[in-house]
Amino acid sequence: MRVLQIKCPRCQQPIYSKTKDLAFYCPHCRTMHVRDGGVHIIDFDIAEFNVNAPQDRVYMPFWRLFSTVRIDQSQVAGGTLFKLGRLLKGTANGGNLFIYVPAWHTEVQEFKRWAMDMTESQPMYSLGTDFANVERLPTAVTREEAMRMADFVIVTMEAERPGTLQYLRYSLQVHDARLVYLPFVRGPGGVTPGF
Amino acid sequence: MTISVGLNCPACGGAIQVTEGDNVLNCGYCGSLLWVEGDTGVLTVAYRNMQDRDGVLRATERWWKKGFKARNLGQRGNLRECYPIYLPFWSTTTRVAGWICGYEERHYTDRNGNTRTERVPKEEMVLRDYRYTGIACDPGDLGIKYLRNTAGEASFADFESIPTFESTTSKDDMIESSKQSALHDAHRDADVPHVTFEKVTVIPKNIAQIYYPVWVVRYAYGERMYMVTVDGVTGEILSGRAPGDPLYQSLAVTGGTSVGGLIAAAGLVLGAAAEEPYFIIGGLFIGVVILGFTYLFFRHGSEIIEGDFKDKRATSPMDWIRSNLGGLRI
Repeated sequence: MRVLQIKCPRCQQPIYSKTKDLAFYCPHCRTMHVRDGGVHIIDFDIAEFNVNAPQDRVYMPFWRLFSTVRIDQSQVAGGTLFKLGRLLKGTANGGNLFIYVPAWHTEVQEFKRWAMDMTESQPMYSLGTDFANVERLPTAVTREEAMRMADFVIVTMEAERPGTLQYLRYSLQVHDARLVYLPFVRGPGGVTPGF
Repeated sequence: MTISVGLNCPACGGAIQVTEGDNVLNCGYCGSLLWVEGDTGVLTVAYRNMQDRDGVLRATERWWKKGFKARNLGQRGNLRECYPIYLPFWSTTTRVAGWICGYEERHYTDRNGNTRTERVPKEEMVLRDYRYTGIACDPGDLGIKYLRNTAGEASFADFESIPTFESTTSKDDMIESSKQSALHDAHRDADVPHVTFEKVTVIPKNIAQIYYPVWVVRYAYGERMYMVTVDGVTGEILSGRAPGDPLYQSLAVTGGTSVGGLIAAAGLVLGAAAEEPYFIIGGLFIGVVILGFTYLFFRHGSEIIEGDFKDKRATSPMDWIRSNLGGLRI
């Protein structure tokens, strides 16, 4: 067994942290890197807090997957009114969307809730340049794992509509995966978006 | 589980602690982020041996007194060897996320005997982490295949003084085996009898190699040698072979064959008298089942076996039926 000190691959400065994080951020040169079978510098976004956001702030990491989805065939038992509504509204069966996969360590049910909430709401935010000493949750999900979870998010979106899903034929292409730190504010009822 | 591994921070020299399965850790002294690599990229840890020879022998003697083992084992059991070894195990966590959709069929019969089948659609989400362990070497006659305990202090302190079995199986095989087991267990948990659609993603989360202390006790009873293995962390019996008691086996054979035969004969007599074939078939069936259970009790002759042995007696008659009548759902 070998233990190495983690250093920034760009400026060679050692990285210090109180948390165990799979995405290593260098505050000196603002480089983020991961070690998945090698040392790789990755692109990432930091979303800015709303200026009116309260002070108990935290950044939560998500893998944002730019994807193209097309539903070719969906067979659902029940949910007749919903299906009729979709038919009347002429809902599109495909298009591009960002799939959000929670990147911090969560229990499986929390994982699902966050993935669905963020993917369905498609958050809009302004980009910041650094974390400004705001706490950030450590990343515990690799890029590859996140990409493999994209299917789960898409099928869950279909399955959680009214009726009982019986068959689904679809295609999913993930074009890009980017680590995105979204701002949240802690409160008595949990965390709420701070963007 | 947090463990001490006898390693120091390369930046400040402070002692470091590792959580099983983690590659990243923090130095508690200087705050450096550290990256842990095993010899083959797999985190390897050893559990500290918490038992001594006297404790192991006491556990063995307590085990001798349980069940249908020879009643004079405490007097006639002759200890030959008692020693600890380290056995290597793989430990994996596998996440399963997906949906399994389909239906189950429910059958209803009305008063006139007409049967109606209702098809009930089902959509089941499977989203959970499955943890598996498996021995990483040929355990020989030890009767150990899985780790029963995954808690306890871990340290390499005893590693040099206790003989160690080398790992002989590959981590890739264990990962593949865990993925298949997780997929199988996910289908079982989803419980959708007729699947029309499924999309399930299986992601190996982590793998670690664990060296686990096991005490081996070999003893003689009469002309024959037997063995027991004792968990070096918890002190519980992991596996063992022991002589059975002739009295219990005689009672089982006598009682089983008598009761089984009587029920079969009663079924024949009552069925013939009432001209009711169901009595005959039912009596014969019950008689044969009782004889079968008697055979299960006696089939290993004079030996009681516990643990993961290939020739182990099924833990229950239903287990035996499941394992020997493949394809029959019970």
